[in-house]
Amino acid sequence: MTDATPEELDALAAELALGLLDDEDRASAMRLCLSDRSFAAAVDAWRARLAPLHAAFEEAPAPDVWPAIERRLIAFDDTRLRRALARWRMGAIASGALAASLAAFVVLRPPSPPAVRIVPAPEQAAIAQLGSDGAAALLAANYDPAGGVLRIRAVRMPASALAPELWVIPEDGVPRSLGLVAADGVSKVGIAPQTRALLRDGATLAVTLEPRDGAPHRAPSSAPIAAGKISTI
Amino acid sequence: MDEATAGAARARMVAVLARVADGDQKGLQELYNLTSAKLFGVCLRICQDREAAEDVLQQVYMKVWDRAGRFDAERASPITWLCAIARNTAIDWLRANRKAGDLPENAAAAVADTSPLAWESIAARQESARITACLEALDERPRRAIHAAFYDGFTYLQLAQSMAVPLGTLKSWVRRGLLQLKACLSHD
Repeated sequence: MTDATPEELDALAAELALGLLDDEDRASAMRLCLSDRSFAAAVDAWRARLAPLHAAFEEAPAPDVWPAIERRLIAFDDTRLRRALARWRMGAIASGALAASLAAFVVLRPPSPPAVRIVPAPEQAAIAQLGSDGAAALLAANYDPAGGVLRIRAVRMPASALAPELWVIPEDGVPRSLGLVAADGVSKVGIAPQTRALLRDGATLAVTLEPRDGAPHRAPSSAPIAAGKISTI
Repeated sequence: MDEATAGAARARMVAVLARVADGDQKGLQELYNLTSAKLFGVCLRICQDREAAEDVLQQVYMKVWDRAGRFDAERASPITWLCAIARNTAIDWLRANRKAGDLPENAAAAVADTSPLAWESIAARQESARITACLEALDERPRRAIHAAFYDGFTYLQLAQSMAVPLGTLKSWVRRGLLQLKACLSHD
């Protein structure tokens, strides 16, 4: 994609905004959005150009839609996690002790095609997600749903006598341990068949620092040092 | 809507999105009240099924709840950002529920010549008058293709099949049309 001309990239941006691309091309254009800010801006510009075409179709949804959303919000209450993350971020910025910010960023591949594709850690996306300048991802993760294997790469974890423990927090808000991961390099985490269904779009992955003894633990003992939503590309 | 009103609506939406990013559920409800008719219209137009569109709409607001912190008011207008989430979610639904290469029942009608009437209801809205005029200025075939892609979620492949032309030909029509559209919209 790097050898594409600006005109070609702008046409690709229009095609993505318009929804013309099929699975593979769409996935690759969406990845480009995460890694290339000027391309993302071109896509935004096309969306803005086309947006007035939506004007004619306002229609009120049935009155029971909002209550249904409200029930899902309650079932999926991540308020405590949000606050814990906000506190941690503020602490980190205030003390300057941790140069890196947080964000596990997970890419769930679509079920087909079967070949494993390793997606590079989209650090810009992690920054955009958190809105803090100069921050880099602590962790990048990539999940292959077919094999049930999660690969997680620690980028810059704080030095600690404790070990990073990985959790998945699904819609019910209850963290389930996925076990300890290495503080540097790539860890491969086999996901038990009964846990695989939890690793889906919208679930949170979080890392806390825990004593090595007794892992995997039943519940985390501290606020997460990194967390991110699972996003399907 | 005059410019001042539009600016005020935008500022209000940006403020509400910031509350949603902080985990304020009442903020999400306010955002829903402000935007659900528009976003539901987007979902319904693409899904063509009320029940499915309402289900998609729920997913849209759950995504907004998750992603509000990533909204960047410098980069996009809030309503455009929200419409893009609604469109993508509806298109995902459409693709999951329509097999690849499987054309919708209305395929022939969707790429049939877009009657002036179809654009006219849109032209009634001042904000869309400009893009409508620019689309009208396009050649018929690229216009039909862009229309079916926008409103019916057709991909290149489905358009090529429905219009019975080679994929490469179709792509070059559409790309030329998009280029022309961009030029037209940037004229004052």
